[in-house]
Amino acid sequence: MKDKTNDNKADSCLPGGLVPTEQWTLPQTSVRRSLKDAIRHALKQLRAGVSQTEEPFESMDELPELSAAQQRRLAPEPDYSHQAEAIACGLEQARSEGSLSRDVVCLVAPPFSGVQQALTRFSECGQSGSNESGKVWNIISPPDALLFDDQEASEWWDKQDLSRPWIIPELADFWLRRLSGLALVKELFRRIASGDMGAGIVGCSSWCWRYWGHYLESAQMSPWSPAPMDADRLGVWFTYLASGSGKSSVIARMTGDGLYVLPLPETDEAENSKSQKKTKYSNFLRDLAATSRGNPGVALAIWQRSLRARPDDDTKLDEAGDQSDTQSRSADCWVVPLGRLSLPSMPQSKESATGFVLHGLLLHNGLDTASLAVVTGVSAHELSLVLSRLKRAELVIQDSPGSDWQVTAIGYPTVRRHLQSWGFPLDQF
Amino acid sequence: MIEDLGVKGAFASITGQAMLQALLVIVIASLIIVAVQKVLPRVAEKLGGKPRLYLLASVPLLRLLIILATIVIVVPVLVKPSFENMVAIFGALALALGFAFKEYASSLIAGIVTLYEMPYRPGDWIEVDGQYGEVRAIGARAAEIVTPDDTVVIIPHSKLWNSLIANGNDGTDNLMCVADFHLEANHNVSQVRELLRDVAFTSPRTKTWQPVLVIVFNKPWGMHYRLKAYPFDPKEQFQFISELTARGSAELARQGVKFVSVPVTAN
Repeated sequence: MKDKTNDNKADSCLPGGLVPTEQWTLPQTSVRRSLKDAIRHALKQLRAGVSQTEEPFESMDELPELSAAQQRRLAPEPDYSHQAEAIACGLEQARSEGSLSRDVVCLVAPPFSGVQQALTRFSECGQSGSNESGKVWNIISPPDALLFDDQEASEWWDKQDLSRPWIIPELADFWLRRLSGLALVKELFRRIASGDMGAGIVGCSSWCWRYWGHYLESAQMSPWSPAPMDADRLGVWFTYLASGSGKSSVIARMTGDGLYVLPLPETDEAENSKSQKKTKYSNFLRDLAATSRGNPGVALAIWQRSLRARPDDDTKLDEAGDQSDTQSRSADCWVVPLGRLSLPSMPQSKESATGFVLHGLLLHNGLDTASLAVVTGVSAHELSLVLSRLKRAELVIQDSPGSDWQVTAIGYPTVRRHLQSWGFPLDQF
Repeated sequence: MIEDLGVKGAFASITGQAMLQALLVIVIASLIIVAVQKVLPRVAEKLGGKPRLYLLASVPLLRLLIILATIVIVVPVLVKPSFENMVAIFGALALALGFAFKEYASSLIAGIVTLYEMPYRPGDWIEVDGQYGEVRAIGARAAEIVTPDDTVVIIPHSKLWNSLIANGNDGTDNLMCVADFHLEANHNVSQVRELLRDVAFTSPRTKTWQPVLVIVFNKPWGMHYRLKAYPFDPKEQFQFISELTARGSAELARQGVKFVSVPVTAN
C-alpha cells in the first residue's frame, strides 16, 4: 500500500494523502477493545428496552469540559482551504506518478471527512483554484428540484459549462431515491463513461457511492479516498490543528493514569531513546482511530468531547493564547478515556422508520423534511416524531428550521453500527 | 417381561432420598429449560439481525444439552451405573417407546436429527405441506411456526422423513421476495424491465448489495414479470412485496402499460 500511496504524508492537514479506495483499510485495534465494543453495543441494545431515558452525551467525570475559547485553541475545526490544497497536490502527484490517468476523478470519502467542504473551496483558494492548464475550476451545483426524466436530465447536463475543468463537491446532492430522482446521476455516469464530460472531480459520500456501485454494476470508476486516520496520523493531525501556525505544540495526558496522548513519540532515534525512557504513552489514539473507523471528522468530534481542563487551569489556559508555556511539561489539557465517555445511544424503537430515516440521511448526505418523507415513505406525522426522538438523542441535527437534517459526527458510529445490526446496506468505510 | 430384562433388579436399590434428589435435579433442569426458552428469544428480539438468528438457533441446542446433562446426573442417582443395569433400563425404554409411541419416538429422533442437519432453525421462514411461516420454536417433538396471519402451526419433526421442507432464508437474514406483474403484450419489454429494477432499487427496504432481478415470461395471455429482490429484514417481506407491487403497478399504469384481468366465475 505504501508504494502506491501518494507521498505527501508530511502534509499534516491530510495525513496519509489520497489512496485508491480499494487500498483503504480499517485502522487496527486490540482484540480486547473489539470485544469490549461488541459487548457494549449488545448491552446498549438490550438496555434500550429497559431504560426509557434518551440521554445524549453525558460526562462521566468531575473535570470541567473545555470552554469554547479553549476548544478553539486546542481542538479547532479544520481549515478546509488547506485541505483543498492538499487534495489538489495529492491528485497532481498521483497524475505525475502515473497512478491516475482518468480525466474525471472520483473522490469517495465517508461522511464528516471534510472532502465536500474542501472541494467547495477549490475555486476560492489560489493554487488549488486552477488546474495545471491554469483554468479556473467550475463548481457544478445541483438543481433545486431533482425529479427529472431521462430527456430532461440530458438537457440539464447539456446546459452545464463543461468547457473548463469542473467539480461536483457532493454527488449525493444530485439525486433522490425515487423513480424520477435517479436520472441526473445516471446521465452523469453515462457521459463520464463515454468521455463526454472533459476533466473534472466528483466528490461523493461513501454511502451514496456504495448505492450507485450496486445500481451501476458494470461501472468501473476507480475512485480515490483520503487515507484512513490511524493513531499516528490522528496525532499529527490533532497537533497540526492545535498548533495553527505549526510553531507550538499541545500536551494532552490521560486523566486516569497521566499517560501521554500528545505530543507523539519522537521519531528521531537519538531523541527517542532519551525521551521514551521517561515518557509513557497511552493507547487512546489507537482506540480513537478504531472507534471512528479512521474517519477524521468523527475522531475530531470525539476528541473535542474527551478533552478536559483542570479547574485551576481555566484562567491560565484562556489567557495562554500564543504564550509558550507549553515548554513546561504541565498538560495543556486532559483526556478522558474512551471507556468513560458516554457517546449518544440509539433510542428504543420497534419501528423500522428509524432505520429508513437514518439510512436515507446518510445516502443523501442530509435531507430536508419533505424530501426525507419522499425517499423513506414515512408519513409526515411519524417522521416528525422519529426526527425529534433522534434529535434528543443527539444522533441527528438541523441547523435551522427548514434546513437539511444531518446525522451528527458524534452519533455516526452509533448510527452505522445500528444500521448494520438492522441489516441495512452500509458503506465500505 | 420386565423382570426378564432385569429392570426390577436395576431399580431395587432406589431409596426415597435418591428419588427426592432425582426429582430436585429434574425440577431444576426444567426451570432452566423454561428460562432458556423464555429469556433467549426475548433477548434475540432486541438484538435483531444476525445475532438474533444465532441466539434463536441456540435455544433447542441448549435444551438438548440440559436434557442430556440431567439424564447423566439422574440415572446414577437412581440406579447403580453398571453395564447390566444400563442395558436393562435402556432396553426396556426402547421396547416401550417402540411399541406404544412409535410416532412419538420417530418425532423425537427426527428432533435430534434437526439439531445437527438443521433443515430449519428458529427465525427461518419455511413451508411444509402448504403451511408457510416463521419458525418460532423447536421442541423435542415438533416445531412451531407462526404464519403471516398470526396462526401457530405445530409441525412434527417426523415430517422430515417424508415431506419436502422449503426454507426461505436457511439460517441467514437473506430472504428473496418476488413481486409478480401480469401485463398485456405489446409493450417495450426492456423499458419495463428497467423500470421494475428501478422500483426495487428505490425502495428503502431493499438490500441493494444483493441481486435485483427482473425475469420475464411470454405467456399466451401476455407477459409475466417477476421482480426479485431481498428486503433488509426477512420480517419485512410482506411489506416489501406489497410496496414493490403498489409502486410498480402505479408506475406501469403511468407509462400506459395495461394489466391483464382474468374473468372470475363465482359459485
